[in-house]
Amino acid sequence: MSRPRRDPRAERAATFIAGEGPRPRYDRTRRAAGSGRPRRDPRAEREAQRIGGGARLRYDLTQVGRPIGEAVAAVPRSAPVAEAPKTVIVETPAFLVAVVPDAPGGRLSGHDRQVLGAARALAGREGAVAVIVEGDCEGLGAAGADRVLRFDGAKGYDPAGRAARVGVALAGLAARHVLFPESLDGGDLARRVAVASGEALFTNAEVVAAKGLVRPARGRRVEQSLAPPRLATVAPDAVADYAGPPREARALPFEGSVPVETPKNIVSATRIPADPATVPLSLAEFVVSAGNGLTDLDTFRQVVTELHATPGASRVLCDAGLMPRHSQVGASGTVLAATCYFALGISGAPQHLQGVAGCEHVVAVNTDLHAAMIERAGLAVVQDAQAVMPALLRLLAQESGQGAEGAPL
Amino acid sequence: MKIAVLLSAGLHPVSGAPVLPRVEAQAIRMAAGLGASSEIFGLHAGPDAAAIAEALGQGLDRIEHIAVAAGDDPVPALAARLAELAPALILAGRRSQGGDESGLVPYALARALSLPLVSDVVAAAREAEGALRLDQSLGRGALRRVLVRGPVVVTCHPDAPAPLAYAYGRARRGRVETLAVAPAAVPAPAIAMEERPYRRRPKIVKGAPAGGSAAERLKAATGESGSASSGRLLIQPDPEDAAREILAYLRQIGVLAPAGAGAEPKI
Ligand SMILES: Cc1cc2nc3c(=O)[nH]c(=O)nc-3n(C[C@H](O)[C@H](O)[C@H](O)COP(=O)(O)OP(=O)(O)OC[C@H]3O[C@@H](n4cnc5c(N)ncnc54)[C@H](O)[C@@H]3O)c2cc1C
Ligand SMILES: Nc1ncnc2c1ncn2[C@@H]1O[C@H](COP(=O)(O)O)[C@@H](O)[C@H]1O
Repeated sequence: MSRPRRDPRAERAATFIAGEGPRPRYDRTRRAAGSGRPRRDPRAEREAQRIGGGARLRYDLTQVGRPIGEAVAAVPRSAPVAEAPKTVIVETPAFLVAVVPDAPGGRLSGHDRQVLGAARALAGREGAVAVIVEGDCEGLGAAGADRVLRFDGAKGYDPAGRAARVGVALAGLAARHVLFPESLDGGDLARRVAVASGEALFTNAEVVAAKGLVRPARGRRVEQSLAPPRLATVAPDAVADYAGPPREARALPFEGSVPVETPKNIVSATRIPADPATVPLSLAEFVVSAGNGLTDLDTFRQVVTELHATPGASRVLCDAGLMPRHSQVGASGTVLAATCYFALGISGAPQHLQGVAGCEHVVAVNTDLHAAMIERAGLAVVQDAQAVMPALLRLLAQESGQGAEGAPL
Repeated sequence: MKIAVLLSAGLHPVSGAPVLPRVEAQAIRMAAGLGASSEIFGLHAGPDAAAIAEALGQGLDRIEHIAVAAGDDPVPALAARLAELAPALILAGRRSQGGDESGLVPYALARALSLPLVSDVVAAAREAEGALRLDQSLGRGALRRVLVRGPVVVTCHPDAPAPLAYAYGRARRGRVETLAVAPAAVPAPAIAMEERPYRRRPKIVKGAPAGGSAAERLKAATGESGSASSGRLLIQPDPEDAAREILAYLRQIGVLAPAGAGAEPKI
């Protein structure tokens, strides 16, 4: 924390009482105005923690540092009021570090962000991070990109063609290092690019620093380190995201012609989405979960089907035999890796929250404002879940009705 | 249909003893599932054939072994032999085990033979007119069904069906043929790397600020920071409003398809 520096001379001058005789006089009781922090008022704070007007004094001690206002109006949320940080601009980078993210659906994945963080660590102050994406992608500047090279991708499954396009882009960029995520798609692409250009590939790096990269080998019995190579893939959950101020993400022109080739031998490719009803809970992308606060499980099952989600439950429901045991979420059930968790009528016991710790987004509906699940949620609704579920179903039915009418056949 | 299964000399990650990598045993099963009329053989390039004899018990009748010195690149030798035999399907593991575990050999082979490569396949089946249906894993239970015609290199994903049980009788009956041809020694493209015993590193805590305090790291680990700290709270809203808010939120984070759209036609 940076407080303004004290200036004793000025403080002293402020308490000076002018006039009245030859001897200088100072009013020591007067405090210098604007000296920084407001003075605490413990009595007012205590009063603000008081609940209701009953005969017995009751205080809510979790309400701290809020000396004025309604006692229990809303859950205190620490909202950081930072002024918008300035965008960092690298005008003439000494070198480039290229990143080829997966960006499924025009959105950076968590792994992509980590690779961008690794690239930023390699680029340091002088270098710039250039991201190579097919199609549009959002949030690149905040994730640490200084430059963006964007080109239009081809439709359909054509990994060899994509590798060729990325190879052309990399050749035009002349980057010092190129990082890929070691994911299913990214790892495949990295190997294709490396083999096509005849360069060595440093796979599955767990440490990425300007000093060198480290990867495990021989069944994690040894680790191999190397000064940053040209091509490398970065392991998941090994490197931290970029946490600094946003970067410029300036668009670069795409130079060079893209070889157009129809994929050899590949007749067709269709995507078969995971069936949310049968996919294992630990793999599910979106989990809707029921707790002891729900009584109407038939409606709950309808909501799950309509949202194309995987059903989950708290232990209470599984113990009662209302939901199958394999749908239990938590410490003694399944630990989720879902993107979104939607909790209906769940209090959020620690054993349950452990199973949700890895979920990026949490939505909670609960009648209790002080439930731990409400505290954890990104969108918290204090309302009867029994009323919200039919409303959700109605809204979804209405939307699908409109969509069917509006969409051309 | 002629199928080649590429076998690497794996080492057990704990004991360091020679072992057939599980994913290659799964590849053998995948090959066996493609029909009894198939001619399936294993192919290994390396200094020692004993390391791969275990694959005979996992369902192979015949393994071809090309003698290649220990430090040499196996790819030219493998490519030469495969070009000679021209199998319709070349199955490999996703990563080898016990070596560099880089997974580059199948890609280099596909390049050398100029064949297409389909990675991370969990199931394979024969279709009409000699086409091959390959189910590629996309993670999280999603699949991509690829129809290919003509020879192809396929890498096998660990989510494929479990390997066949080891059969002692088959292992006794099968044979390993060491090929007489001595390919020219091609040293592997070496990068000077330093090696030391593996050191476990702390898992990064998502969302924890770099150089933050212990309290901040704990908050990040329990998920209290991140989306929760900037979260929205609706107190006793109308259920309809609540439903609208929830759907809007779910669409914004991209787990629910936009209104009116069906299942997303992504490829
Ligand atoms: C060793 C051990 C291991 C455990 N492991 C697990 C585990 O793996 N998974 C697990 O889930 N639990 C586990 N538990 C149990 C855990 O401690 C809790 O008891 C359990 O999670 C509580 O489930 P709940 O939130 O559904 O029920 P409750 O705690 O009863 O909460 C119900 C919630 O619903 C709300 N509610 C009530 N009516 C409505 C309504 N109409 N609309 C909306 N909300 C409403 C209430 O306000 C309350 O918050 C474990 C316990 C132990 C001791
Ligand atoms: N020496 C080898 N002989 C035959 N196949 C190999 C050899 N090395 C690797 N492979 C195949 O290539 C896959 C990936 O190996 P690697 O690129 O070493 O990780 C393995 O699972 C094997 O199927």
